[in-house]
Amino acid sequence: MRERLLKVLRKLSESLIAVVIGLLGGAFLMILYGYDPWLAYRALFTGAFGDLSGIFETLAFATPLIMTALTFAVGVRAGLFNIGAEGQMYLGAMGAVMIGGALSLPPGIHLVAATLFGMLLGALWSLPVSALKIYRGVHEVVSTIMLNWVAFWLVMYLITYHFAEPGRAERAVPAQETARYQIIGASLTTVIFVVIGFALLTYFIIWRTTAGYELRLVGYNPEAAQYAGISSVKATYLSFFIGGLAAGLAGASQVLGRPPSWTVYATMGNLLNLGFEGIGVSLIGRNHPIGIIFAAIFYGGLVHGGRFMEFEVGVASELVRAINGIIIIALSIPEIISLIGRIVRRRRE
Amino acid sequence: MGKGFDGEVLVKAEKVVKSFPGVWEHLILDHVDFDVRAGEIHALLGENGAGKTVLANILSGFYTLTEGQIYVRGRPVTIKSPKDALRHGIGMVHQEFTLVPPLTVAENVALGLRKYSSFSFPIREVERRLRELSERYGLRVNPRARVEDLSVGEQQRVEILKVLYWEPEVLILDEPTSVLTPEEVDDLFRVLRNMADEGKGVVLITHKIEEVKKVADRVTVLRLGKHMGTMRVDEVDEERLLKLMIGDVEPFRPTRTRVKQSSKPVLRVEDLHVVGSEGVEAVRGVSFEVREGEIFGIAGVAGNGQRELVEAITGLRKASRGRIIIMGRDVTNRSPREIADLGVRHIPEDRRRTGVVEGMTLGENMILRDYRSQPFSRLGVLNLKFIGEFTQKMVKEFEILAPDIWETEVRILSGGNIQRLILARELWREPRLVVAFHPTYGLDLKALRHTHNIFMKLREKGTAILLISEDLDEIMSLSDRIGVMFEGKLVGILDAEKATIDKIGKMMTGIYAE
Ligand SMILES: Nc1ncnc2c1ncn2[C@@H]1O[C@H](COP(=O)(O)OP(=O)(O)O)[C@@H](O)[C@H]1O
Ligand SMILES: [Mg+2]
Repeated sequence: MRERLLKVLRKLSESLIAVVIGLLGGAFLMILYGYDPWLAYRALFTGAFGDLSGIFETLAFATPLIMTALTFAVGVRAGLFNIGAEGQMYLGAMGAVMIGGALSLPPGIHLVAATLFGMLLGALWSLPVSALKIYRGVHEVVSTIMLNWVAFWLVMYLITYHFAEPGRAERAVPAQETARYQIIGASLTTVIFVVIGFALLTYFIIWRTTAGYELRLVGYNPEAAQYAGISSVKATYLSFFIGGLAAGLAGASQVLGRPPSWTVYATMGNLLNLGFEGIGVSLIGRNHPIGIIFAAIFYGGLVHGGRFMEFEVGVASELVRAINGIIIIALSIPEIISLIGRIVRRRRE
Repeated sequence: MGKGFDGEVLVKAEKVVKSFPGVWEHLILDHVDFDVRAGEIHALLGENGAGKTVLANILSGFYTLTEGQIYVRGRPVTIKSPKDALRHGIGMVHQEFTLVPPLTVAENVALGLRKYSSFSFPIREVERRLRELSERYGLRVNPRARVEDLSVGEQQRVEILKVLYWEPEVLILDEPTSVLTPEEVDDLFRVLRNMADEGKGVVLITHKIEEVKKVADRVTVLRLGKHMGTMRVDEVDEERLLKLMIGDVEPFRPTRTRVKQSSKPVLRVEDLHVVGSEGVEAVRGVSFEVREGEIFGIAGVAGNGQRELVEAITGLRKASRGRIIIMGRDVTNRSPREIADLGVRHIPEDRRRTGVVEGMTLGENMILRDYRSQPFSRLGVLNLKFIGEFTQKMVKEFEILAPDIWETEVRILSGGNIQRLILARELWREPRLVVAFHPTYGLDLKALRHTHNIFMKLREKGTAILLISEDLDEIMSLSDRIGVMFEGKLVGILDAEKATIDKIGKMMTGIYAE
C-alpha cells in the first residue's frame, strides 16, 4: 500500500514539475514577445476553471480526447504504437451521422444505436491494421497513417455527396432530436458520462480480466507470453479493437453530443486532429485510463482557457498554441522517457 | 597465500547500513563491517540476496550508503559516484557485462575514458596500454578483436581490463566465476593472485565455498544483510563456513526409493529432428522415453541441441521430422498451450527473459500458468483476492524474498528468487511431466537442496521429469537414467547405477559412445 502511494506520488510530482517547466517556458515566450505572462496565465486559468460555464466548456473539450487518448494507451499496453485514432474517429463520426442524422428511430433506441454504430465503425476501421500486422508483419505506424488518410477522404466524400444537409452543403445532416445527448451546460452533454464509463470499463478490462492480463503480458514480454501459451494474435486484435471502439466513440460524441452544430462539417474542421492530440493526452496521463481523464481535462482547460489569453490579454492565437505546445511537450517527457527506456531494454535483450 | 594478512588496510567500511525505503521493510545491509588489505584476496561469501552486490556497489560508488562510514587508507571519505570511487582507487567488475558488441576491445575500454574528447580518440595508445596490462597480469586478450567475436570468458577479461586501466588499488569482482568454465576459473584465479602479489587488494564475491578455500586469504560471510564474521581462510573449515552462510538447512536425501517404476511412458520422443535458429539441424534423430516416476537426465556440453530439444517438446519450436508423444497423445508441432494443458510444465533456460515478465508484479507472474482456471479467475475476471492469498502461500512455501506481491516489479528480485518463483509456479500442481532446463543454475545451496527435494518428492508421486543440466553432479545424483547428448544426437543412455563421471564426460565430448 505504502509503496503504491509512493509510486503515485512520484509520478504526480514528476508531472507537477513538468507543468512548472512548461509554464515557465511559455512565460519566457510571452516575455520575449512583450506580453505579461502573469495576466495571461490568470486569464487562461479563470477562463478554463473560473466559473461553471468555463468548467463545462473545458470538459466538453476534454470529452473526445479522453477516448482518443485511450486508443493510444491501450495500444501501448499491448506493446503497439497505435496512432490510428484520427481516422477511426472520423469513421465514428460518420457512423453517428448515418444513424443519428439520416435515420429516424424511436427515442432512446435512436441515441443508443447511433452511438454504438459509430463505435463499431471505428473498431472496424482498426481491423485491417490488426490483420496486416499479424499476417503480413506490417508495422501499425505505417498502416494507421495510410488508413487515416483513406478515412479522411472517404468521410469527406460521403458527407459532401451523400449525407449533406439539404440546403446547407457545408455540413452533414445534424443528429436528430432523438439522437442527441442531453445538454448539461455550455456545450457539455451527458455523453461525457458514457466516455468516462468507457474509460473505467477499459481500466477494468485491462487490469482485472484474463483478456487484459494476456494483453499486457504480450505487451511487456512477447517471449514469456509465448512460453505461457498466450497468442499475441488475440491480444493484438483486442487492443486495436478496444482502441477502435474508443476512437469511434470520440467521433460519435462530436456529432451526438456537441452543440451547437451536432454534426460534421464538410471541412471536417470540428474533428481534425482530435485523434493526434489524444497521443499527447495519453502521454500526459501516463497511458493509464484514469490518468488520461485528468490529463484530458487539463488539456481541455489549456485549449479553452487559451482563448481567454487571446481575448483578454491579446496574446496572438499562434503564440497561444505555441505556449500550449511547450506545456504539453514538457508534460509528455516523463512518459516518453519511460517508453524509450522500455524499447531500449527490449532491444538490448 | 597468506601474504596479505599484515598488509595496509586500503579500504574499510564501518557499520554500513543500507535500506531501500518503500521497497523493503528490513535493512538490506545491517551494520556491516568490511575491510580490504593490500596483498590479499578477500572473499565476500553469502547466499543469493545476502547483500553482497549491494555492499560492493556501495564501495564502488553505484549506491550511496544509508548509514556508516567508509575509509580509504584510514581517511574518512564520501563516495558519490563510480568515478569518485575510481579516484579513490576502488574499481568494480559487475556480474552483468556492459560491453558494446560491435566495437573492438580497445574501443570499449576507451569508451569509459571520458577525459578524452571524441576528436582525439587515442586508440593506439589504449591498445598499447592494454597489451601491457594483459602481459602484466596474464589476461590474454587481443585489443583489436571485436567484442562480439569473443567468448564469455574473454569478455570478462575485457571487463576486468576496463577497470584495471584506471590502476585501482582495490578491485572488486562480483561473482566472476558464474559464467566461466572450470579452466577459465583457474586462469582467473591465477590473475587475481598476480594482482594481490603486486600489492592490490582483491575482493572476490561468491556463493561457492570451494572457491573461497581455493583462492582466498580471508573471508567475510554475509547472511541476509548481517555480518556473520570475518576470518582467515586457513583457520576455518568448509562446514563452519556453510553454517555461517546458511544457518540450518534441510538435508538433501536422495532416498532412491525404488518407486513402483511403472513402465508407462509419459513422454516418448521418436527420431526427432529439429532445425535451430541458425538454420542448421540442431537435433538430429533423437529417441528416448521418460516414464512415470522417473527422472531422465540429459547431460551434455551446452549447444549440442539441448535447447532445441526442449523447445520442440514444449511446443516453442517446430520439429522437422519425428514424433513427440505425451501421455499417449501425439503432440508433435502442437501449440505450447495444448501441451501445457496436458499437465506439462517447463522450467526454462533463460529465466529472466522467458520465465517471468519483469515489468509485472510477483502476483501477476505467479499466475502465468493458471490464470484461466478457477478459482484464479471466473468468467474471465481475475480473482485478485484469491491470487493474493495463493501467492502469499507460495512465497512462504518456497521462501521467495520479495517485499510485496502486488507492488514490486519482479525486475528487482535477485536471480535466485526469480528461479524460486518459477519453480513454485511450475511445480505446485504436481504436473505429469516436468521439463527442467538448468533448474538450479545460479541457485544458492539452500535453494538448490530445496529444489532437489521437491524433484524427489514429485518423482515419488509419479511425475516424469526430464532434467537437462550441465552440472554432472546434479544429473548423477538425481537421475534414474542418463542420456548424453553430443552434436544433436543421444550418444548413449545409461542406467544411473552404471554411470560414472568419467564415462559420461567421455561421451559428452564424443570420445566414446554406448
Ligand atoms: N535497487 C534495489 N532496490 C530494491 N531492492 C534491492 C535493490 N538492489 C538489491 N535489492 C535487494 O537487496 C537484497 C540483496 O541483494 P544483492 O546484494 O543483489 O544480493 P547478493 O548477495 O545475491 O548479491 C535482495 O533482496 C535484493 O532484492
Ligand atoms: Mg549478487
